[in-house]
Amino acid sequence: MLSLKNIAADPPPEQKSRRVFDGSFLVLLVLTLVGGIAVAVVSGWGRVGDILLETFGFLTILAPKIGAGIFIAATLPILLPRDRVGRLIGRESGVRGLVVAAACGAALPGGPMMTFPLAAGLGAAGADMGAVVAFISGWSLLGLNRTLIWEFSFLPSDLVWTRYLLSLPVPVLLGLAARAVVQRRPA
Amino acid sequence: MNILIGTVLIGAGALWLWLQLPNEEWRKASYRASLDTFLFTAPRVIVAVLGAGFFAELLPEDQVRQLLGSEAGITGVLLAIALGPLTPGGAFVSFAIGAAALKAGASPVAAIAYVTSWSLFSTTKIFAYELSFMGRQATMVRIIVSLPIPFVIAGIASLLG
Repeated sequence: MLSLKNIAADPPPEQKSRRVFDGSFLVLLVLTLVGGIAVAVVSGWGRVGDILLETFGFLTILAPKIGAGIFIAATLPILLPRDRVGRLIGRESGVRGLVVAAACGAALPGGPMMTFPLAAGLGAAGADMGAVVAFISGWSLLGLNRTLIWEFSFLPSDLVWTRYLLSLPVPVLLGLAARAVVQRRPA
Repeated sequence: MNILIGTVLIGAGALWLWLQLPNEEWRKASYRASLDTFLFTAPRVIVAVLGAGFFAELLPEDQVRQLLGSEAGITGVLLAIALGPLTPGGAFVSFAIGAAALKAGASPVAAIAYVTSWSLFSTTKIFAYELSFMGRQATMVRIIVSLPIPFVIAGIASLLG
């Protein structure tokens, strides 16, 4: 079983900072500025001010949740060593291995910069293609941190529940499908 | 209410995790990582939510309802699935866009199809991370087996009404 303890003796791992301004952020920034100017042209600057107020009001309500979510997303990866997660997923096989991989994907917070290196490490720890696909799909479709922080904040809850419950079996099914594909066409 | 439940759950998770930090050195590392993640996330969230607000204002409701509303049927769902991969940026961008489209008259099934398609096929994720870490073959296998999923999910969701 995974344990977060047994770490008091070791120092925390080194971390590298990420660039705040990258390509995708600039795209987002330009789209938003163009949107803001377009609203000003169509409905006047007063409407732009209203939307600004609404947005910051909404973000203020979300702030405690976002803050706690950011803490989890930043702290869990340093507490949970990658190789240990890799071994846990890698040593399980069969459908059980796919369930464990999908559940780990859903439980682990963090963006693609954390998930894909971890997924790549799974292979080295003994996981097959099916488990890797189940892990990535579990994170993509069922990520708890993302659904609890963002999805429930923006979208109606019945819609979120419908999407989530329908997606629940998908990562395991995709893992099985990936195994079938790889078996037919070996690498 | 949604926001409150989520806040309590996430807050409890964060508190539990904080209690697992064994000493001052780990707490400091955790705070440093949190600050780094905050500086990375905050500008994106603000810009994305603001942008979604502007676009919700600009979206022509008649056309959104026509293209993505319940009457649009399968065509609307197909359009929603096609828009998923094209969405730039993180989760909050796609959810904010989904919310804006719903407000402008898109059907819930189209929103579910859009979010599912974005989750599985976001080009940002695939090109910036997946291809470089997983390689071409593994990425292709995952994409190919995942292709039917948004259609199947949308199909079942529309049967559920």
